[in-house]
Amino acid sequence: MDNLLHTIMLMLEGTQITLEIFCITLVLSLPIGLLAALGRISDVKPLSLLMEFYVWVMRGTPLMLQLLFVYFALPMVGIMLSDLAAALLAFTLNYAAYFAEIFRAGIQSIGRGQYEAAKTLGMTYPQTMRRIIIPQMLRHVLPPISNETINLVKDTSLIYILAMNDLLRVARTIVQREFDMTPFVVAGVFYLIMTFVLTWAFKRLEAHYAKYDQ
Amino acid sequence: MQNMTNDNIMLKMQNIHKSFGSLEVLKGIDLSVAKGDVLAIIGPSGSGKSTMLRCINRLEEIDSGSIEIKGRMLVRETADGEAEYVDEAESRDVLSCTGMVFQQFNLFPHMTVLQNLLEAPVQVKKRSAAEVRPEAEELLRKVGLFDKRDCYPGRLSGGQQQRVAIARALAMNPDIMLFDEPTSALDPELTGEVLKTMRELAAEHMTMVVVTHEMAFAREAASHVMFMADGVIVEQGSPGEFFASPKQERTIAFLQNML
Repeated sequence: MDNLLHTIMLMLEGTQITLEIFCITLVLSLPIGLLAALGRISDVKPLSLLMEFYVWVMRGTPLMLQLLFVYFALPMVGIMLSDLAAALLAFTLNYAAYFAEIFRAGIQSIGRGQYEAAKTLGMTYPQTMRRIIIPQMLRHVLPPISNETINLVKDTSLIYILAMNDLLRVARTIVQREFDMTPFVVAGVFYLIMTFVLTWAFKRLEAHYAKYDQ
Repeated sequence: MQNMTNDNIMLKMQNIHKSFGSLEVLKGIDLSVAKGDVLAIIGPSGSGKSTMLRCINRLEEIDSGSIEIKGRMLVRETADGEAEYVDEAESRDVLSCTGMVFQQFNLFPHMTVLQNLLEAPVQVKKRSAAEVRPEAEELLRKVGLFDKRDCYPGRLSGGQQQRVAIARALAMNPDIMLFDEPTSALDPELTGEVLKTMRELAAEHMTMVVVTHEMAFAREAASHVMFMADGVIVEQGSPGEFFASPKQERTIAFLQNML
């Protein structure tokens, strides 16, 4: 019993790392993804092409490779990052690319009539995006954003290759040391709790936005 | 459209040409609208009447010709016959005296009725919401929807939505109102309330350009009627003479079909 409690305490520490990576990545990658989406649909061709290239690279290579690249390759060109910063950089760039695609699809799902109405009322393009298009888009993209966010919780386990003691790595260490599978079960429960909270939060958000939709 | 002095002219379009790809939809349109005119534009679908209306406020850009609004140039014709628009800021300024009502209403679904009315005066004219609110509420009373001010558009009937859309356009104090088939998306029993609002607006001498299929509105509320077909103006005149004694064969055939 004491042993189990000790195991859980160790794993809570690992969960802290997991949550840290998760929260910071989410807070950074959502706005960056939105900016990337706006760049992608912009009339400025070089910007649009650059964003297309960025999304292509980030979606077209494994997240694991991106993590290793940031961790091992950047120091070779003199950029020294802490383990945490390296992980955050890779996760943020990767998730921002996925969010950018979701936001872009969301923006393009808003009908031409909304732009025309805003234009005939004298609104500029930035005003139209900020006040009319983006608020409506956010409501449409909640389900896919929710999906990606839950993926992110699980993807954080990839940082074990950077030797960071996240939830899964702590569990594995204990399992290997004591030949007891309980930590894996506990880890599974921890992940389920985190994704449950997220699912609940997104449901609340969807309900909030649904009020003008009936 | 008769006896117009220059400062009375709200809208002047000359020799407007417009193509979508290889399809020429406007083939040299000339048009003048004076202050207080209510111009009803009728014609079969595909005649270019909606496109012409959308060219007035630059939702579509013309290929050649010129457009002046309240004496200010929106687009001029260069020596080699190309259309040359004024810059973006000037264009916005010239068009600030126009308002538009769409077939599909295009209300902002994430805002309440009142917020829809406040949005442009607050964001565009930088007025305070507290200052605009009484005016917006007055407009909602005028279109009979004051009690719906806190509803989201999705809760309203099509007719109610369109009346909100009219009020929203009026909240910017336009001098010219453009209507693009404002009743075409409505159930027949709902067109009456929208037409009533438009009639009241006409009675207040608002300058209006209305693309419509409502012959009763054209006959009773318009000061001028224009019939378009295949990208040209076939015939125009006062509603009295236009409906009583149309002269062109195409007009006669069209009117026979509509009645």
